[in-house]
Amino acid sequence: MKITQQATDNTLTLSLDGELDASSSVVLDTELSKAEILNNQKVLIDCRQLNYISSAGLGVFISHLQRFQDAGVKLVFFNMQEKVHNVFEILGLDSLMTIVPSEAEATAI
Amino acid sequence: MSFVRKLNSFLLPFPILSWLGLLAGTLLYAHPGLVGSSVTLPTWVPLFLQAVFTLCVFVQERTTTDRLRGLDFTGLLRRLVLGPGLLATVCVGLHLAQRFLQHELPTTSSLAFTVVYTINVGLFVLLLARTTYAWRSLVLFRASTRLRHLWNWFEALLATTLLLRLLVAAPPYGLSMALLGVLASFGAYVSSHQKWVAYLSRRQKVDAVLLQVAVLLSMGIFVVYFLRVQREAHSVAPATQLSFLLLNAGFAGFYAIMGLLVTFFNLPTAGVFEQKREEILSLQRLTQLIQRGQTPEEVYRMFFDSAIQTVEADAAWLEVEATTEEEYTGQYYRVPPEQALAIRALLTDYNLGHIEYLNNDLPNSSGFRSLDLPYSSLIVMPLRSSKRQYGALYMLKEQAQGFDRENLSILQTFASQTVLSIENLQLVQASLDTQRVQDELKIASAVQDSLIPKNLPIDNWFEISSHALAATEVGGDFYDFLHLPGRRLAVLIGDVSGKGVTAAFHVAQMKGIFHALMQENPLARNEREKFPVPSKFMAQANNALARCLEKAAFITASLYIIDYEHGGFVFARAGHCHTLYYHSIKEEVSYFRTAGLGLGIIRHDGYEKHIKNQFYDYNPGDVMVIYTDGIVEARDANQEEYGEERLKQMLEHTYYLDADEIKEKILTDLNEFSRGQPMHDDQTLLVIKFKAAQPEPAL
Repeated sequence: MKITQQATDNTLTLSLDGELDASSSVVLDTELSKAEILNNQKVLIDCRQLNYISSAGLGVFISHLQRFQDAGVKLVFFNMQEKVHNVFEILGLDSLMTIVPSEAEATAI
Repeated sequence: MSFVRKLNSFLLPFPILSWLGLLAGTLLYAHPGLVGSSVTLPTWVPLFLQAVFTLCVFVQERTTTDRLRGLDFTGLLRRLVLGPGLLATVCVGLHLAQRFLQHELPTTSSLAFTVVYTINVGLFVLLLARTTYAWRSLVLFRASTRLRHLWNWFEALLATTLLLRLLVAAPPYGLSMALLGVLASFGAYVSSHQKWVAYLSRRQKVDAVLLQVAVLLSMGIFVVYFLRVQREAHSVAPATQLSFLLLNAGFAGFYAIMGLLVTFFNLPTAGVFEQKREEILSLQRLTQLIQRGQTPEEVYRMFFDSAIQTVEADAAWLEVEATTEEEYTGQYYRVPPEQALAIRALLTDYNLGHIEYLNNDLPNSSGFRSLDLPYSSLIVMPLRSSKRQYGALYMLKEQAQGFDRENLSILQTFASQTVLSIENLQLVQASLDTQRVQDELKIASAVQDSLIPKNLPIDNWFEISSHALAATEVGGDFYDFLHLPGRRLAVLIGDVSGKGVTAAFHVAQMKGIFHALMQENPLARNEREKFPVPSKFMAQANNALARCLEKAAFITASLYIIDYEHGGFVFARAGHCHTLYYHSIKEEVSYFRTAGLGLGIIRHDGYEKHIKNQFYDYNPGDVMVIYTDGIVEARDANQEEYGEERLKQMLEHTYYLDADEIKEKILTDLNEFSRGQPMHDDQTLLVIKFKAAQPEPAL
C-alpha cells in the first residue's frame, strides 16, 4: 500500500495505491490520526488505485468518521472501483460517507 | 601385515646364525693356524659375513611391529635405553674381562680378544638397528604418506652407502663425499619431523631429554671402545669393517642428537602447551557442565566457578543484570561487597564499566591507589551478546602482572559460551511460552467450536444445511438458531471484523446478545410484539455493542425469523452479505438487495433509521443461501474474487437439489476456484430449502 498526500488550501487529498489490509491500515490510521488533519475543511480520498479493502481498512475510516464530523471536516471518497464500492455499500457505509464518482465532484462539494 | 609378521618370525634365527658365521669367519681370518690350515682366508669373507649379519639384524628389526605404543614416547625411549644401555655395560664388562685375561693368560689373549671383539660388533649392530628403527617410529608418527615414501628411499640410500663402504675398500673420494652429502641433508630433513615432541608434557620432555642423552652415551661407549681397540683390531678384522661401523654410528648419533635438540628446545614451550591443554580441558568441562544447567542461575554459577579455577584468581565477583524473570544478580568470592562496589564505581567513573579491561598494576594506577586494595591485578570480562548486556565478571589477583593475554582470551571464550547457553535457555523458555499460548488457543478454539450449533433444527417444512470453517484457530464468523413459540425459527449469521481471540470474544458476546434479546417479552400486548422484529433486534444489539466494541471494530449480521406456519419470513441485514434466493414461482435466482448498516459503526440512537425489515412470503421449493464474506471474497491464483455472480450461477444450477447437496456443490466449486491459495477469511455457508407442507408423522 502506498499513500501519497497532496495539500492545497483547506483540502488534503490522500491517494491510496494497492490493498488496504490489516497491516497497511495501520499506516493509514497513523495518517488520519494526526491532529493537524482537522485543520482542513475537506479530506479527499482518491481510491482510483485502491484494489481491495479489508474490514480492518473499513474500520480505520469508521473509527475516524465521528471525529471528522465533530470537527466539521468533510470526508469524501472519489474514483472508487466497483468492487470496493460494493464493499462500502454492503456494509451500509454509502449512507454515512460521501462517495462521489470523480475528483471534480469531490472538490465541488 | 600378517606377511610381515610371518617374515619376522621366519627371520628370527638368521641374525644368530649369521653372527655365528661372522664369529667363525673372523676367527679363521685372524688365526689361520687354529684349524691347522695354512691357507689365509681372503679379506672379503669376513666382510661379506659382516654384511650378511648387518642385513639380517636390520631386516629383522624392520619387520618387527612398531615398538611405539599409542603415545608412549618415553616408554619407547626407555626400552631403547634399557636394551642398548645394558648392552653397553656388557660391552664394557667384556672389554675389562678381556683386558684381565690378556694380562693373566697372554697365550690365549689374541683368541679371546677376537671373540670379545666379534660379540661387541654383534651388540653394536643390534644397538644401531634398534636405534634406527626407534627413530623411524618417532619420525613417522602421524606422518604423511609422502614422508613415509621419503623414509623408504632414505633407508635404501643408507643401506647402499653402508654396504658400499663395507665392500669397496676405497671408493672414489668424490662419489663417497657426494653420497654422504645427500644422505646428510636427506637425514636432516627427515629427522626434522619431530611431531611427537608436541605430545609430551613438561615432565615427559625432561624424561625424553635424559633418555636420549642415555642413548647417545651408550652409543658413545661403543664408539670409544672401537676407537680404542682400532689398532689391535687391525689384526682380527679388515680395516673397512671398522670404518663401516663408525659411519653407521655417525648416522645413528646424528638422529639422536637431532631429537635431543628438538626436545631440548621444546622444553620451555612445554608450559604453554600444558596450559593450553588445561584450558581446552576446562573449556570442555565448562561446556558439558553448562549444558546440564537447567536455569540461568546454574549456568552463571558454573561459569563463575570455572573461571576462578582456570585463571586462579584470588578474589572475584560476578554481576548479573536483573531482569523481571531472573532473580539471580551475581555472587562474590573472597571479596567484600563494599570493596567490589568501590572498584565498580571507580570503573564506571572512568567509563570502563562493562567493557573488557585488564590492569596488571593496580597500585600504580591513579584511581585504584586511593582505594588501597590488597590486589594488584584486575580483569573485567563483560557477558554480552549482540542483543544485550547480561552482566560482567571481575577477577582479582594479589600479585602484580597476575593476568596475561591468554587469561583474557580463555575468559572471552568462557563468557561467550555462557552467553550462548543463557540465550539457548531463553529460547527454550520462549518456545515453551509459545506452546502454552498455542495450547490456550486450542482451548479457545474448542470452546468456540462448542458455540456452533451442532444440532440443526429439523422440521418437515424446511431443510437446513450448514458449513463453517475458520481461517485461524479461533474465528470471527458465527451463526445460530433459536426456536420461537408459534412454529417460528430465528436464524442469525454474522461476522466480526478482525480475527483471533478478540474477534472470538465478540462472537461469544454476539451469541449472548442473541439469546438474551430473543426472550419472550412478558409485557407484550400482542403475539407479534412478544419477540423483537429483526430491525429492533439490530438496534438493541448495536446499543449493547456500542459500549464494549473497540473503536475500529464492527460486526455485520443478518437475522431471519422464519414463520413456517404462515409460510413467510422477515429479516434485517446489518451490513452483512446480501441474501441469495431462488424463487420457485418465478424460477429465478436473485439477491435481496436491502439497505442496512453494520453494527458498531454509529453508536447512538440514530442507528435504527439505517436498518430495514424485509418481509417475504416463501413458496415450497424456494432456496435461501446465506453466507459470510469469506465465501464471496475467496481468491483464485489470479487474485480474482469468487464473487456474488458466480455464487448466483451455482444456485441457478443446483436449486432443485437437497439443501445438503446444494451446499456441497457450492463448496466443491469454491474449493476448485481457490485451489492452492491460502484461506484469507473464515467461511460460513447456510442453505435453507423450504418444502411443501407434509403431514406430521404419526406419533
